[in-house]
Amino acid sequence: MFSKNLSSACVILLLAAATAGAQRLLVPMDDAQQNHLKAYGLTYNAIKSGASAEWLLNYRGGSFLLADTPELRRQAGLSGITIEPIDNGRLGSIRAEIAANNMEAVPLEKAPKIAVYTPTDALPWDDAVTIALKYAGIDYTSIYDDEIERGDLSKYDWVHLHHEDFTGQLNKFYLSYRDFPWFIDLLQKNTAAAKRLGYANMPGLKKDVAMKIRDFVERGGFLFAMCGATETLELAIAGHNVDIAQSFIDGTPMDPDADRKMDWRGTFAFHDAHLEQSPFVNSMSDIDGHQVNVPGRRQPLGTFTLFNFSAKFDPVPSMLVQNHRAVVNDFYGVTTSFTKSVIKSGVTVLANEEGAPWVKYLHGDYGKGTWTYYGGHDPEDPQHQIGNPPTDLSLFKNSPGYRLILNNVLFPAAKKKPLKT
Amino acid sequence: MPGIRRVVRGARGVGRLIVLVAIAIHAPRSMRAQAAADTMAFYKALDLEAAGKYRDAVPLFRTALRTSASVNALLGLERVYAELGRSDSLLAPLDTLIAASPNEETYRTVQLRTLQGLGRDADLQRAFDRWVHDKPESAAPYREYARLLLQKNRSAAADSVLARAKQALGSTKDLQLELAQARAAQGQWVESAQAWRLALISADYLVQAAAYALAPTPSSARQQIRDIFLAPPIDVPSRRALAELETGWGSPSDGWNALKDIPADSVGADAWSEFARRAESEERWTVAREALESALRWKRTPDLAIRAATAAMNAGDAPAALRLAPLSDAKGDSAAIARSYLPLHARALAALGRPSEAERLVERYDRFLSPGAKNSLTRTIAWGWVRTGDMNRARAALAATGAEGDSSDAAGWLALYEGNLKAARGLLRGGTESSPELALALGLVARLKVDSAPDIGRAFLALARGDSAGAAAQFVAAGEKTPAVRSLLLSTAAQLQAALKHDTDAVALWTRIVDTEKDTPEAPQAELEWARLLRRKGDVASATTHLEHMILAYPQSALVPQARRELELAKSAIPPTG
Repeated sequence: MFSKNLSSACVILLLAAATAGAQRLLVPMDDAQQNHLKAYGLTYNAIKSGASAEWLLNYRGGSFLLADTPELRRQAGLSGITIEPIDNGRLGSIRAEIAANNMEAVPLEKAPKIAVYTPTDALPWDDAVTIALKYAGIDYTSIYDDEIERGDLSKYDWVHLHHEDFTGQLNKFYLSYRDFPWFIDLLQKNTAAAKRLGYANMPGLKKDVAMKIRDFVERGGFLFAMCGATETLELAIAGHNVDIAQSFIDGTPMDPDADRKMDWRGTFAFHDAHLEQSPFVNSMSDIDGHQVNVPGRRQPLGTFTLFNFSAKFDPVPSMLVQNHRAVVNDFYGVTTSFTKSVIKSGVTVLANEEGAPWVKYLHGDYGKGTWTYYGGHDPEDPQHQIGNPPTDLSLFKNSPGYRLILNNVLFPAAKKKPLKT
Repeated sequence: MPGIRRVVRGARGVGRLIVLVAIAIHAPRSMRAQAAADTMAFYKALDLEAAGKYRDAVPLFRTALRTSASVNALLGLERVYAELGRSDSLLAPLDTLIAASPNEETYRTVQLRTLQGLGRDADLQRAFDRWVHDKPESAAPYREYARLLLQKNRSAAADSVLARAKQALGSTKDLQLELAQARAAQGQWVESAQAWRLALISADYLVQAAAYALAPTPSSARQQIRDIFLAPPIDVPSRRALAELETGWGSPSDGWNALKDIPADSVGADAWSEFARRAESEERWTVAREALESALRWKRTPDLAIRAATAAMNAGDAPAALRLAPLSDAKGDSAAIARSYLPLHARALAALGRPSEAERLVERYDRFLSPGAKNSLTRTIAWGWVRTGDMNRARAALAATGAEGDSSDAAGWLALYEGNLKAARGLLRGGTESSPELALALGLVARLKVDSAPDIGRAFLALARGDSAGAAAQFVAAGEKTPAVRSLLLSTAAQLQAALKHDTDAVALWTRIVDTEKDTPEAPQAELEWARLLRRKGDVASATTHLEHMILAYPQSALVPQARRELELAKSAIPPTG
C-alpha cells in the first residue's frame, strides 16, 4: 500500500513539474457542458492545429484538457462550449483524482484523416455521422466506389459507413420504393458505376468494395459503421463467393444453399448468421435483432446501457463509451441491433439492452486496425422513416446518442500506450 | 374491487333509464300484465339500490334474473355486489345465465369484466376462450377482451388478442377502434392512424378519442399520420381528427388545411364552425376567419357572420370585417345592429381611418345604445381620430366620454403623440390592446426619465398614420435630442427602413449603433439584424464576421443563442430551415 501511494505521488509530482507554469482549459463533459457535440469539434481542431490535448476518461463525463490559447477560447465562445480555465494547482488535484480512481488521462496526438463512404452528391443530412461532423465542425471527405476501387482508402485513417447495402441489393427498398424517383436514380447510378468499374452487376461491385474496406482495417485503419452497413458488410465479406442477392437486383435468385456456403472466417463481428431467403421479406439476415421492416418480427425500442470499462487497462473501449448518461434511448435503423447468438467470441460489447437477446454497440480489432459497429440510423430520430426532415443538431447539442458517434471520431487520435498488464 | 364499483356506479342511471324505455316500447300489449308482474321484483330492487340498501336489493335482483328483465337485473346485481365488495358472488349466476343463453353478449361481457376485476386472469382467459369457442365467427369476444386489457394498460396482450382475431375472423374490420388504441399504446403511430381512419368511418363520435390517442405521435412520424388522414376519399371525421391533431401540435393553419377541402354541406359547415371555435379561443384569428368564411358560404347566419367579421378584424383585416357582416344582415333590426354590428363596424372604420363614418353610424343608432356601450363606441371613434392624426377631434371625442375616456387606450396613445410621457407611461401600461408599437412605446417610456418628449411623440404619430419612412426619419431626429434612448430610436428607425427594403439606410443606422452605441442592448441586436440581412443577400462571409463579433463581444446578450443559430446556418453546420 505504502509503495503504491508513493509511486502515485511521484507520478503526480512529475506531471506537475512537466506542466509547471502552463494554464489549461478544461472542457467538462458532464452536465455542466452546454454543448457536448461541439466540444468534440473543438478538441479535434485543437489537435489538428498542433495544440496539446488530453482525454480525461471517466473524469466528469470524459472531459478534455486543452492548451489555453486565445483561439480555443474564441472558438469555445462562438460555439457556446463550456470551458473552465484551470491553473496548475487545480490541474494537480485533477490528476491526483484521476490517479486514484477508475480514470485515465489519454494524450490525443494526431487528428485522424476522415473519410465517409457516401455518394459524393449526397447531402449530409441523411447520415447521423455526417450530421454530427458538420455540426461539430470536423472536416471529412466523401468517398465512394470509384475512390475505393482505385485505392484511395489508404489516404485516410478513419472511415465511416452508414446505410450502404454491401450485398448490392439497395437494402431491398425495391420492395417498397421501386417506383420512387429517388430509388430509380439510385439504381441507375449504382448499376452504371458497376459496369464502369468492370463488374457484371451491383452485388459484384459492392462485395469487392466490402473486401477492400476489410483490407483497409487489416492494414491499420479505423472503421466505424452504423445502420445497415454493419450487417451487410459482414454478409458481403462472408458471402464473397456466394450468390446472396435476390433476382430483382441481379436477375438470378439467391443460391438456395447460400447459408451453408457463407465463409465467416474473414468477418469482423459475426458468424453463423442465417440469410433471409425470401425476396419479399425486407430483412437481410438474423443479425439484426429488431427487424424493423418486417411486420410480425419488428421488436419495440427500449433503452441501451453503456458498459463501464477499466479506464487504465481498457482505454479504447473506455473512450468509446465516454458519456454523461449511462442509459440511452434506443433508435431504429435498417439494422438496429446485433443478435447476441451470432457475435464472435472476442468481440467487445460496449452497450446492450438489459434482458434482450441483442446488443447495440460493438468493437473489435482486426489485423492492425479496429472496427466499431453502432446499430440504428439516427440517435435523435428513433423511428426514422424515409422522407423525414433532417435532424437539426442545434436542438440536440447534448445528445448522448450522438456523443457515441463522436467518441469514435476522436479515439484514433489517442496515443497508443503499452499495455500495463 | 373499488374499480368495479366505480364503473358500475357510473352505469347505474343509464341502465335504469334504458330498462324502463325498453320495457315500455317493446313489450307487446297482451304480455304487458305478465311483464309487469315479472319485473315487479326488479323495480323494487332498483328502488332499494337507489336508497343505498344494497344488501336488500340482492335477492330481488336475483329473482328478476329469471324474468324478461334478466339482462338489466344482471347489471343491477353487478352494481350492488360491487358496492358490497362481493363481486365474486356474481360468477355462479353468470354461469347459469350463460348456459341458458350462450348467445347473449351482455352476460359474457359482465363475466369477463367481473373476472378481471377480481384479478382472476387464468379464469378470465378461459372465459374468453369459451366465448370464442361458442361464437367462433363473432368479433365480440375479441373486442370485449381487448378493451378490458387496454383499460389495464396491457397493450401487448390486447395486441395478441387482436392478432388472434385476425387469424380467426380473417380480418379486424370490426375491431378497428381496439386496434387503433392498441397500436397507439404501443407507439405504433402509423398503424394506429390507419386503424383510426377505418374506425372513424362508422363512428364519427370518436374524433376526439382519435386525436387524443395520436397526440403523442413524435414529430418524425407526423407526416405519415397526415398522409393517412388526407388520403382520398375525403372522410370528414378523419379530417376533423387531423385538424384537432394539427392544432394540438401547434399548427392551426395545418389544421385548417386538413378541413378546407371537405364537401360544403351541413356536416362540413359544422366541422368548420367547430374548428373555428377552438381557433377563436386560442386567438388564431386568420384560420378562424377562413373556417368561418367557408361555413358562411354554405349557410349565412348572423352569428356566423359576426364571428367571421370579428376574426377578420382581429386578424387586422378591417375591410373584410365590414364586408363579412354588413348591416343589411340584420334586416332592419336596429336593436340587433346596435348590440352586435355597431361595435364591430365602429372599430373597423376607426382602424381604416374613417372615424367620421363611425361617428355618423353611432349617432344613427344612438337611442338603442346604453350609456356604457355609447362610451365604449366613443372611445373607439377617438382612436380613429388618432389614426388620422386629428388630435383635436380625438381629444374632443374623449372629453365627451368623461372620466372613463381619460383612462382608455386612445388616451394613452394621445398622450404619447403629444409627447406627454408622464401620462402615456401610466395609461399605456394599463392598456387592453397589445401590438408591436405598444411594446416599443412601453420600452421607450420606461427608459426615458423625462416627462415630455414631443419629438418622439411626432415620430409615433407618423408611424400611426402609416408613414413608415417619415417615422424612421423622425425617430432618428428624436434620437439626436434624447441620448438616453438614442440607440433604441435608431434601432427602431433601422427596423422600419429594413421593412421598407431601404437596406442602405438600415445598414447606415446599424453601423452607427454598433460604432457609437456599443454599450447599449441595441448594439448586439443591430449586429444580428445586419448579419441576417447580409446572409439573405448571400454575403455569408460578412454575415459570419458580424455574427462572430456579436457573440464574442456580447456574450451576456439574450440574443446570443439566435446569433449562434444564424452562424450555424451560415456555415451550413445544420440543415437549412424552411
